[in-house]
Amino acid sequence: MRLVFFGKLGDVAPSHFSDIARPDEVRTLADLKAWVVRDQPPLASLMAATPVRLIVNQAVVHDLSQTVDDHDEIAFLPPMSGG
Amino acid sequence: MDIRIVTAAFDPQSLCEQFRAARRDAGALVSFVGLCRAKTGGHAVDLLTIQQYEGFTAAEIGRIAQDIAARLSCPDILVVHRVGDIRPGEAIVLVAALSEHRETAFDAVRLLMDYLKTDAPLWKKESGPDGSRWIEARAQDRERRIKADERIA
Repeated sequence: MRLVFFGKLGDVAPSHFSDIARPDEVRTLADLKAWVVRDQPPLASLMAATPVRLIVNQAVVHDLSQTVDDHDEIAFLPPMSGG
Repeated sequence: MDIRIVTAAFDPQSLCEQFRAARRDAGALVSFVGLCRAKTGGHAVDLLTIQQYEGFTAAEIGRIAQDIAARLSCPDILVVHRVGDIRPGEAIVLVAALSEHRETAFDAVRLLMDYLKTDAPLWKKESGPDGSRWIEARAQDRERRIKADERIA
């Protein structure tokens, strides 16, 4: 499983998240989000303060009950600003 | 439709000229170039760093551009967005539209820029003597995009 973080989330996300085994208790995206928050307090405080979108294998996700597979790439996107 | 994410400095003028020359059925070309400022919100800026989500960013900008082109019946749109390290004065983004008449081209460029400000998967970090800070879309950018959407609908 590969977790990628952007913007200010990327500043505090640990590098080993780029290649981790799916924890047993993580079955859905909601589980994953909760696990990240428990495992990484600096990410937890940022994610509590700002909306974060999840993208799975480069596809937008609308339902956090979606299951997570062992080889998924899940991106955590804080608010965006281009242009 | 031409969407490019680039990592090196680009020349907006020559890209616009290539875009224009590719079609003979347009009566209007409108373009906008966003530049890196040397000062924002009272902070001096030495460097602007823009992150993308490789693959996803270009696809999302393309999707947004296709949607706008379809809604406005705009025949052709060009977006060139730079990522990586950018210095003050350099071009960040070029948005251009070709259409039969000017109203459509103006609307397409304005709406696309409004969307890029709030919905493009890009993240900006400004660095200068006061330190570094991540930039988020402002509430007024979101309001502007919503109003522009309502006007076009």
